Amino acid sequence: MGPAGTPGGLVPRGAGGLAVLALALALAPLALPPFFLQLLTEIAIVGLFATAFNLLMGFGGMVSFGHAAYFAIGAYTAALLVKRAGVPMLLAVPAAPIAAAVGALVFGFFIVRLSHTYFAMLSLAFAQIVFTVIFKWKGLTGGDDGLLDVWPPALLKSPVAYYYFTLVVVGLGLLALHAVIESPFGYALRSVRENPRRARFIGIDVRRHQLVAFVVSGAFSGLAGALFAFYNGSVFPDFAYFTKSFEPLVVALLGGVQSFWGPLAGAFGFKILEWLVSRQWPVYWPLFLGTIVIVVIVVLPQGFVGLTWGNGWRRRLTGKA
Amino acid sequence: MAAPSDGQGLILETSGLGKRFGGVHAVNGVNLSVPYGEVRAIIGPNGAGKTTLFNLITGDLSHDTGEIHFAGENVNGLPPHLLCRRGMGRTFQITSVFRRLTALENVQTALLAHHRRHFNFLARARRLYRAEALFLLDRVGLHDQAGKPSGMLAHGDQRRLELAIALASEPRLLLLDEPTAGMAPRERHEIMALVGRIAADTGLTVVFTEHDMDVVFAVARRITVLHQGAVLADDAPAAVRANADVQRVYLGQPVAA
Repeated sequence: MGPAGTPGGLVPRGAGGLAVLALALALAPLALPPFFLQLLTEIAIVGLFATAFNLLMGFGGMVSFGHAAYFAIGAYTAALLVKRAGVPMLLAVPAAPIAAAVGALVFGFFIVRLSHTYFAMLSLAFAQIVFTVIFKWKGLTGGDDGLLDVWPPALLKSPVAYYYFTLVVVGLGLLALHAVIESPFGYALRSVRENPRRARFIGIDVRRHQLVAFVVSGAFSGLAGALFAFYNGSVFPDFAYFTKSFEPLVVALLGGVQSFWGPLAGAFGFKILEWLVSRQWPVYWPLFLGTIVIVVIVVLPQGFVGLTWGNGWRRRLTGKA
Repeated sequence: MAAPSDGQGLILETSGLGKRFGGVHAVNGVNLSVPYGEVRAIIGPNGAGKTTLFNLITGDLSHDTGEIHFAGENVNGLPPHLLCRRGMGRTFQITSVFRRLTALENVQTALLAHHRRHFNFLARARRLYRAEALFLLDRVGLHDQAGKPSGMLAHGDQRRLELAIALASEPRLLLLDEPTAGMAPRERHEIMALVGRIAADTGLTVVFTEHDMDVVFAVARRITVLHQGAVLADDAPAAVRANADVQRVYLGQPVAA
C-alpha cells in the first residue's frame, strides 16, 4: 500500500487500493442479495452528493445549508422530463445536472456575496424556496403527492442493473470532481478557502471563483438527485427540505472534509450505521444515530479517513501536536 | 496644495488621497509620487495611517477623496485582483500565506493565477510551473522547505514565502507592509537586503512600511514620513534624519539609532 496522504491530502491510499475497491464493487452482485445492492446503490448516490457538497465545504471553505435544492432540482428535472415530456431516461439524467447548474448559478450569484453564517443561511433560504415551489405547484410537480412511477427502462430496472448503472455514473462523476480539485481551478479554490484577501492579490476574482465552484457543486448534486429519482422510483418535495440539506453535511463531517475520499467513506459509514441502528431500534433510531454521529465527530475530527492515516489517530491518543 | 507633476516617469502617484473612519481622518490629503525603480520607505508612528494608505492604494479599501494613478493610468476603484493583474504586488502586515498548502503549492497557485490559468479544469496543477515556483522559493531561501505546509513554517520563513508569492505575479510595483515584523534583527537585514537585490536586478519599484529605522535607512532611497494621516516629510534619508519635525514626532529620539 502506498504512503499515507499528504496533510490536507487527497489520496488516502495508492491507486492499488482504488483498484481493489473497484473490483470488489464490480463483483459485489455475485455475493450480495438485492437488498444490499440497493444499499450500496444508495451509498454511491449519497457519496456523490456529499463529494459534490464537499467541493464547497472542504476545498472552498463554503458551508451550504441548502444543497438539497440542487439535489431536488436534478431529481425533479429528470422525473418531469420522463413523466411529462416522455424523454428517455438516458437523456433525462444528463439534463439534471444542467438544470441544477442553472439553479446554482442564479442562487449562487447572491449567496457567494455573503460569507460564513450568512452564506449558510441564504443558501438555506433559497432551498426552502425551492421546497415551497415544488410543494405548491401541484399541477406540475404533484405537490405533496410527488411524482410516482419514475422508473428506469426495463433494461436498467433490476437492482443489479441499476447498481451497475449507478456505479458507472457515480464513478465518472467522482473522477470529474477529482480532476476539478487537482486542476488549476482546484488549487485556486483552495487558496480562496485559505485566505481570500491574499487570493485577490495573486489576481483571483474571489467571488467569481466561488460562484463557479458553487455551480460545479450544484451540477453534481443534481446528478446525484437524478440517480436517486430513478433508484427511488418517485420524487417528493422533501428532497428539497432542510433535513435533506444536512445529509451531505453530516456525511462529509463523518468521513472527513479534508480529504477527497472522506465524504464517500462517510456515506458508506453513515448508511451502514443507519441501517443497523434502524433495524435495532425501529422507533427511536434517529436518536441513537444522532448520538453516534456526534461521538464520531468529536473523537475523530478528521473523520473516518483520519483512521487510515494513523497519524491523526495516534495524535488524538497521545495528545501530541 | 501643490499639484504633483503630470505623472511622467512615475509608477505610483496619489493626489489628495483621503479616508475617514467615522470622525478619524486616517489618511488626510496624501500626495505621493514614486518614480520607476525607486525603493521608498513610508514611516510614521503607530496610527499614522501607513497601513490604511497601503489598503487604499491596493484597492482593499475605497478612498473618500483624491486620485490614484498607477503606471500612468487612473486606477480609482479598481478591485485588488485587477490591480494585481496590472502589475501591483503586495504583502500584508499580518503574514498572509495559504496555510494548509505547501510552500511550493502556494507559489504554484500564484503562478497559475498570474498566467490566467486558474479557470483551467483539465490540467494537473501539480505539474504546472513547478520549476518556476522552485526558482522563486530558492530566491527567497526556502528551496529546502518546498514540501512543507506553509502554516508549519517558522514565522520568518512565512514572510519570505509571502514575498515569493508576491514575486510570482511579476509585479512592477511591490508594496510591502512591515515585511520584517516579528523577525529577529539579523533576519530583518537579510530579508531587506534580499528585497534590495531583487529590486536592483529587476528594476522593480518597492514601497514599504517599516518600524525598524536601521532597516529603513539601510535600504530606502527616499522616505515619506506620515503623521496623523498626513505627509510630514518626503525626502532623501539624510534630510529626513535631520528634519526637526520628524524628530519631534518620534518623541525626541534620534531617528536612526
